[in-house]
Amino acid sequence: MTDSELHPYVELIAREARRPVFTDRMGRDRVMAAIHAEPVPRRHVRLWERVLEPRSFRLSPAGSALIAAGLVGIGVIAGVTSTNRDVRSPDGQLPVADVRSHLPVSDTVVNFVFIAPQATNVSIVGDFNGWDATKTPLVRAANSGRWTVTLPLTAGRHLYSYVVDGAWNADPNAPIAPDDGFGHSSSVKIVSRGSAL
Amino acid sequence: MSDDAADVQRVLAGDVDAYAALVDRYYDRCARFAVRMLGNRDDAEDALQATFLRAYRALHRYQERDRFSAWLYRILVNQCRSIAARRSHRERVFVREEALLLNAPDRTPNWTGEEEEFVQRVLAELDPLLREAFLLKHIEEMSYEEMSALTGVGVSALKMRVKRACDRLRERWERIKND
Amino acid sequence: MLAGALGLAVLLGARPTAAQDPDPFSRFDQGTRYTIELLIDSATAAGLPSQRLRSTALLGLSRKADGKQIVAVVQKQLSLLRVAKSALGTSDPEELSSAAAVLEAGGKPGQLNPFRIKQKGRNDLQAFAVWADLIERGVPSDDASMAITKLWQDGADDDTFQSLFRNVKSDILQGLNPGTALQNRIREGPGRVSPSTVKPPEGQQENQSSR
Repeated sequence: MTDSELHPYVELIAREARRPVFTDRMGRDRVMAAIHAEPVPRRHVRLWERVLEPRSFRLSPAGSALIAAGLVGIGVIAGVTSTNRDVRSPDGQLPVADVRSHLPVSDTVVNFVFIAPQATNVSIVGDFNGWDATKTPLVRAANSGRWTVTLPLTAGRHLYSYVVDGAWNADPNAPIAPDDGFGHSSSVKIVSRGSAL
Repeated sequence: MSDDAADVQRVLAGDVDAYAALVDRYYDRCARFAVRMLGNRDDAEDALQATFLRAYRALHRYQERDRFSAWLYRILVNQCRSIAARRSHRERVFVREEALLLNAPDRTPNWTGEEEEFVQRVLAELDPLLREAFLLKHIEEMSYEEMSALTGVGVSALKMRVKRACDRLRERWERIKND
Repeated sequence: MLAGALGLAVLLGARPTAAQDPDPFSRFDQGTRYTIELLIDSATAAGLPSQRLRSTALLGLSRKADGKQIVAVVQKQLSLLRVAKSALGTSDPEELSSAAAVLEAGGKPGQLNPFRIKQKGRNDLQAFAVWADLIERGVPSDDASMAITKLWQDGADDDTFQSLFRNVKSDILQGLNPGTALQNRIREGPGRVSPSTVKPPEGQQENQSSR
């Protein structure tokens, strides 16, 4: 609607409304005072947020064997990603430092098991992997209906579900959370703080 | 790079005072929208403070390909909506001075408090969604595409809102001119 | 911390999964994204766990919900977290998330008061998880509240709450009324793993984790 089409009265209102509103410096000064009290916004805030998020990764067979031998509860550091170049030294080598001195309060690895003899694919989704069904598949033990995966999780409350051939299934052996608002009730895993290495 | 984008980069690089340049550039314009939208200074002040603070916090998410004013206005529009939602209805007041204004064609509008109040009262009669669309279209003079990106409302719905706002204003005129 | 972590990863031969999608929120339409970012911003400003809201939004994406629904759910989450914080007076994100779930299931804010006092070496996450679960399974909200609170005040540990959960769940699955199941287990002492007093109906499967 161009101005020429506006009814004269409407044009009047618009013209009046377009006139500047008087402002003094006080409002602006208050804004800047509040700004100075804020943390400085950083360009890569999101990168750091991501790095500190719990990551899921699978342990090698040797690692899994350690876990299976009953050493669950060994502290494992969360938030590991090998794609973060920043931690490489200038010559590109991965540092192998004294682990103990760098450990935060350590958490735990959790073994997830789901019995589904007739399933073709089972994966786990949860707040530790952005609920992405492609991220964390379970592995079927040979000649059985037993699907497992072991994940390091930070201390606290975690929500998760199994995706069995595309269908979301709660863990029948875990407490359930209220309906998530999207038609499904997830399972709850509480991870307490484990012991440090 | 536009001035806006350059200032944003400076702030992100650590020059907090560069934000003052952005504030100076947009404060008055945002104030005008906030006052017209909310109808009173106090609420408008709250909206402005919240807007510039949130914009600062979200600065790392601003992308150069967006117009900074549109990006900022998105925050402003939403702040105004939250504040308006918290308030109760304003009383509708009928003003006769409008007829006088319309009948003085050569009058160059001078800035007085009474005129602002008259405009505010008229705008206050509009449903907030209609008012918002009318302000964005005819006071901020945005395109419908910009308005759509900003408000999240579809272009045709926005056109309908602007049309309805103009209809209401016209109806108002029909009522008062016959008094 | 990262240096040490990578060292450990090297020792265990871990193979991290593919790097996370750098910007999962880009899958939202603009309006939805913007509103959700604002809600997350509000959470941060109020000292509430924004990470929980992020996760909820991603869950909505994964469940293929539309933008409006996702926004509504995130908004509701934010309110619950606010109430939880007001009731508990804590800023611990895990505790707030757990308490919010209790409220969502049907617990009342006042029922969280006994958990305001922090005890060294204890946390109420497991208690809250079981509390919400009991209500979800049909135990009357007030009954669940009373049972959990009493256990907590008596010093029950995580294992006790987990046993209670397992036993009550088992009883309910065998056909017992949920409220009754809870009362039975509380009365006999929830930490004891005793056979249910209800005989399972003929032919019913006991192994509930298979499919």
